[in-house]
Amino acid sequence: MTRYGMVFDVKRCIGCNACTVACKQENSLPDGVFFTRTLSAEIGEYPNVSRTYLPTICNHCEDAPCEKVCPSGATYTRDDGIVMVDGEKCIGCGSCAVACPYDMRTQIEETQITNGLFGDGNLTPFEEQGYSRFECGTFTKCDFCSERVDGGLDPACVATCPTDARVFGDLDDPDSKVSKLIRDRMGRQPLPEKNTRPKVYYID
Amino acid sequence: MTEQTPVQNSMKAGTWKKSSCKMCIHSCNTRVHVTEAGVINKIEGDPDSPANMGRLCPKGNAAIMRHYDPARFKTPLKRTNPQKGPGIDPMWQPISWEEAMETTIRELKKSVDEDPRKLLPSIADFQKLYLWAWPLVVGNSNYFSTAGSFCGGGYHPMNGFIHSTFAAANDVNYCNYWINNGSGDGFSSHLHTAAQAFHVANARVERNMRVVCVEPRLSIGGAKAEEWVPIKPASDRHFALGMCHVLIEEGLCDYESLKKDTNAPYLVGDDGYFIRDKDGKIYVWDGKDNKAKAFDDKSIGEFSIEGSYEVEGKACKPSFQRFKDILKDCTPEQMSEVTTVPAETIRRIAREFSEAAEIGNNITIEGRTLPLRPAGYNYYRGAHAHKYSSQSNHAFKLVNMLVGSIDVPGGHVGATLDDQKIDNGHVAEGDSGQLLGTPHQLGPHPGFSFPPDNMDLMSYFPLGVHPGHLNVEVWKNPEKFNLEFTPDVMLICHSNPIWSLPGNRGDWFDIMRSMRFIVSIDIVPNDTNCFADIILPGHDSLESWNMTMIEPPHTEGMCLRQPMTEPLYDTRSEEDIFNDISEGLGVLEVWNSVLNIVNGFEESPNLKLELDQKHGEKEIARRKGLNWNGKDLDWYMEHGHSVTPRRPDKWYKPWDGMRLLFYIEDIVRERDGLKKAMEAAEVPIRNEWHWEDYQPLPTPVLEPVLRDNGDYDLYAITFKDIQLNFGESLSNPWIKDIVYRDPVHTALQLNTKTAAAKGLAEGDLVLVESQYGKIYGRLGLTEGIHPETIGVSNSLSRMMSQNAGVPYGGGHFNDMLPADLENTDACSGQCESVCRVKLTKLDHIPDELKGEGNLYEFSDGKAMQ
Amino acid sequence: MFKVSLKNILRPGFAGGTFKSGYRFQKYWDTPMATAFFCGETGAGLFIISMLMDFLPGIIFGLLITGVGKTFFHLTHMGVPGKAWRAMLRPDRSWISRGLWGIIFFVGFGSIHVLEMLFNVVPAGLEPAVYMLAIAGAMVVVTYQGFAMSHSTAISFWSTGLMPISSMLYGLLMGASLVLFLNAFGFSISSPEYISMVGLAQVILIIAVQICLFSLLHGAKNGSKGAEQSYVLLTKDFLARPFLFGVVGVGGLVPLLILLFIPTNFIINLIVTGCVMAGFYLFRLLIFKAGVLDPILSPADIFKR
Repeated sequence: MTRYGMVFDVKRCIGCNACTVACKQENSLPDGVFFTRTLSAEIGEYPNVSRTYLPTICNHCEDAPCEKVCPSGATYTRDDGIVMVDGEKCIGCGSCAVACPYDMRTQIEETQITNGLFGDGNLTPFEEQGYSRFECGTFTKCDFCSERVDGGLDPACVATCPTDARVFGDLDDPDSKVSKLIRDRMGRQPLPEKNTRPKVYYID
Repeated sequence: MTEQTPVQNSMKAGTWKKSSCKMCIHSCNTRVHVTEAGVINKIEGDPDSPANMGRLCPKGNAAIMRHYDPARFKTPLKRTNPQKGPGIDPMWQPISWEEAMETTIRELKKSVDEDPRKLLPSIADFQKLYLWAWPLVVGNSNYFSTAGSFCGGGYHPMNGFIHSTFAAANDVNYCNYWINNGSGDGFSSHLHTAAQAFHVANARVERNMRVVCVEPRLSIGGAKAEEWVPIKPASDRHFALGMCHVLIEEGLCDYESLKKDTNAPYLVGDDGYFIRDKDGKIYVWDGKDNKAKAFDDKSIGEFSIEGSYEVEGKACKPSFQRFKDILKDCTPEQMSEVTTVPAETIRRIAREFSEAAEIGNNITIEGRTLPLRPAGYNYYRGAHAHKYSSQSNHAFKLVNMLVGSIDVPGGHVGATLDDQKIDNGHVAEGDSGQLLGTPHQLGPHPGFSFPPDNMDLMSYFPLGVHPGHLNVEVWKNPEKFNLEFTPDVMLICHSNPIWSLPGNRGDWFDIMRSMRFIVSIDIVPNDTNCFADIILPGHDSLESWNMTMIEPPHTEGMCLRQPMTEPLYDTRSEEDIFNDISEGLGVLEVWNSVLNIVNGFEESPNLKLELDQKHGEKEIARRKGLNWNGKDLDWYMEHGHSVTPRRPDKWYKPWDGMRLLFYIEDIVRERDGLKKAMEAAEVPIRNEWHWEDYQPLPTPVLEPVLRDNGDYDLYAITFKDIQLNFGESLSNPWIKDIVYRDPVHTALQLNTKTAAAKGLAEGDLVLVESQYGKIYGRLGLTEGIHPETIGVSNSLSRMMSQNAGVPYGGGHFNDMLPADLENTDACSGQCESVCRVKLTKLDHIPDELKGEGNLYEFSDGKAMQ
Repeated sequence: MFKVSLKNILRPGFAGGTFKSGYRFQKYWDTPMATAFFCGETGAGLFIISMLMDFLPGIIFGLLITGVGKTFFHLTHMGVPGKAWRAMLRPDRSWISRGLWGIIFFVGFGSIHVLEMLFNVVPAGLEPAVYMLAIAGAMVVVTYQGFAMSHSTAISFWSTGLMPISSMLYGLLMGASLVLFLNAFGFSISSPEYISMVGLAQVILIIAVQICLFSLLHGAKNGSKGAEQSYVLLTKDFLARPFLFGVVGVGGLVPLLILLFIPTNFIINLIVTGCVMAGFYLFRLLIFKAGVLDPILSPADIFKR
């Protein structure tokens, strides 16, 4: 059985957020909407200080709290483990957003769509061809680029990552790159104490 | 399950076409998805490119937003508001191409006919470098831009001297110890960022390559490095000299390479010139026979690199000894006082560096046995862009040369800008077995002239890159500099000098306002073209043709740019515009011959442009592709590029058998040549010329900015990161959406303890003043910056302009920099990029900077979301 | 007074909308949702207490407050109100769904019960069933919001069994207070024992609520880092003033002291009810405002680079 997951190699990540922009590009995301974000945190004191870059994305949890709390059935999990949101069914109650420990749910607000990326109230041809996927008021999130994955491609963020800090693959296949990385470099899930069983792992 | 219409852009019905990126000056290979309706909806790296392997940086990912930017110039425009200034609406009026070109040609002709020097060109499209040569066709060598001031005034000439190349990079194929000094290479900026970041990350993770970053601010590279060495700004040369001291004192050098592959043994007299025999051959000292011999004497038993000798009655020393003498005053302890880097750290890094260099080790590549030196000292603008830039550049190169890592596997390797033909080499033999130094990588020097033919005084910089920042000092003091002409027309092409030049903005505005006529070829409104009288709208990179190779660090080959859609607006290519201007000025044939020279068509007679015809961008692209590998345009349209890994024969030690310039006698010679010319012409400023800037070996002279400066107790530096790399980024909504959420780019970076000592807190509004200018901003406290430094992201340095999409900050960092001769390297023309400042806490930002367009308001909005 | 301003978002350790790693405020459940929660628990509490003593005005007001008030504010909050009905679809797993069914039962059977009381419309023998179903619905409504908050581990401060208990206690306290208020206002309750019983209940509930609040804070202080932040926000930071003065002082201590030491009359009743109501509303609002997500870095903060 295929069970898709992702590994973030924190040692490789340079915090450039190319992933973030590639995602916005692939998914026609309006201003201020992100399916993935790469965060930074300073650690240590001068001069023994460094900065960690931390890619974040929907963790497609095995025990997805967003799915559990969703009253409308809009959130569901595909057989391959990708947690999806059906925008047609979402009522915009926000339960998922407050239930996600990772802050990975975003509401599409009408003004975000109508103002346009350039904020002048006009949509570019790019936006015109892209925004129809969104229903205003609904909550949305990363779906691991499910259509690209179905088409045999890596998610957009993975494909563009200049340093290969993002690896996508089948967690159930012991020979997949993700499985090997998790095994060999002690992959850790984010906020494991939240008991959501993320399918995203971090290695350093 | 029913097949649903895809919602993800790359999966929608449409076609992929290969092309190359132009969101910075480099050219990562791309593939572009165009929907059936003709909308460009996804750009990715070309998975088949050995350069960027399908990857793109955030800017490359954001190209669509440049293409569809509503602020783009859509037709030729004519100014109707005579008032010019930042934020003043030019009141553009759309006009026809006929009218625009007619006006442009008429106005240019008027000045050029009077005196070709009255034209100030500012042509800066780096992917169409041949356009830079256009002013030559009217006999003009002015330059109103910043490539020299802010890219590499000292950097490129020194690469030309050491590697005979335009750029240089550490060799990621084998390097195991990577020093980055004031450079983002491999992490956040400079050469083919996404491509280089990919290879560097692999080296770090798969080969455990150690990275040491020496820089005042913890950059991305510093964050990823095994070791961040915070250093006082503008003291990088001293760090390098401290390393050299340790390498030499402790005998950690590659002596074999120094003796065999460099001019370190060449004997230098006290006048700075090599000692030559009657045939002009340079002497070396044979330690075995204990006598001087010509460098190529077969009987030499031992090349002495140390000692003092007398040859033909002249006292002399090997150039290595000359350097060793200089280094007496460069102990790690002494250098520690300048740099604030602990002496022990300097010592340790020098030892680690030498050890990592595996001196004596060899590797066989394609049948050639080459030294394997997996240690490289890489550097860029942060480290070298200071008053004594030439010396700094030289010092960094010498760290590499001492351990034999110049141009060898794993070391610090020269990267050519554009080889033009696949088999073209780039090295030639110079005097007495030395590698021929080629400081003029962008074209020949215009030559000495007095009165000067160039408002930036390029005539007086025989070894430099155009010091565009000097235009303002000369313009303000024409008598002092004997300027015989007053420029009154400006031709701008994809250049934004008013954003990039150092010095007081007000003075630069005055120059712009003094122009009788300004024409600008551009895509979006910016700080400079808001002064234009005529706008000639250009195609963007998704609508145009081009073929280019731009200093890739580990690959070579031509990258095609092809149109993805018909032009969205009534735009034209630069080639069409320059062809028409050339024709109008009666110089089309000259223009074609210049194009033949700069594109290397001269070497391929069948590709030479017909002189009486106009050649468009597609045709030039076609011929450049043919010139490279004989492949025609259709091949390139399918493959997108002819990029391959750098050929080892051209990449590693292409100068095998010649000697590298450890000691650069040319610097002494050019100094004296200039001196003589100035004396002969009785140039009045010859006595204030900084002759001491010309040094054949680097010295520990203190940068002026490091000298005591009273109240100005901090150093201000500016920086970009990968999201803002190179040109205009911040009118792009996707880039803004990530930049103004990054703490590094939303506040002035100050060390936590420094702030505490000054009673300042996170978020405080401050006035930052240098002795030249000021900016306002909000403080962001960080542990990741040298305590004597305040770091100003370029994202905080934008000004109010006609492009409302660019949030303006509290003034421009460059206003705080000096744009004068005093702070310019007389050898290279490089200007100082660091300044001394003081901070004053404010209650509120000045009223004129308030408003919705203010970037602090803007980033606050982002922070709230 | 307690606006989540820029200053508060960019406080040390907090990320806001930036790409810093840090605590994040939950931002999607805000004033309309708090008001809906307030109405739901108030209405259900009033309904339950009124049902126990057959106090028709209280029953009707309870139904109106929940049925109209809660519904209105929920629809105001909802991104796609037109599809609100879909919230019924997953009672198997979602407390929001269960709550909606609770509201339907409560309002539906409660209304039938009112009609029964007024017009005897329910067939004989079914009255107890209607009564029980209405009470059951109201019990769901008075607690489910707490369950909806505690169900997920995302916001540690919310992720505690005290959430539904605080919902219920507050709901019943509001119910008791409003019953006494309505009584004083002229909608007299027939039996005086009821009044003293409810009066006693009110005092006990005020104390119980305060104990519950104390337990919540105690748990938060010793909970995850995010919960600790919630504790700090509510007791020491920009939410402390409204919380300590408003929720604890005005909403708890003041009415308690009044009830213990001043004989009741209409004015006193009005003041006490007002205090309790203000305290509860602030509580609802502040619990949302203090909802803090843990920094995602926590498992990775030992990563060097």
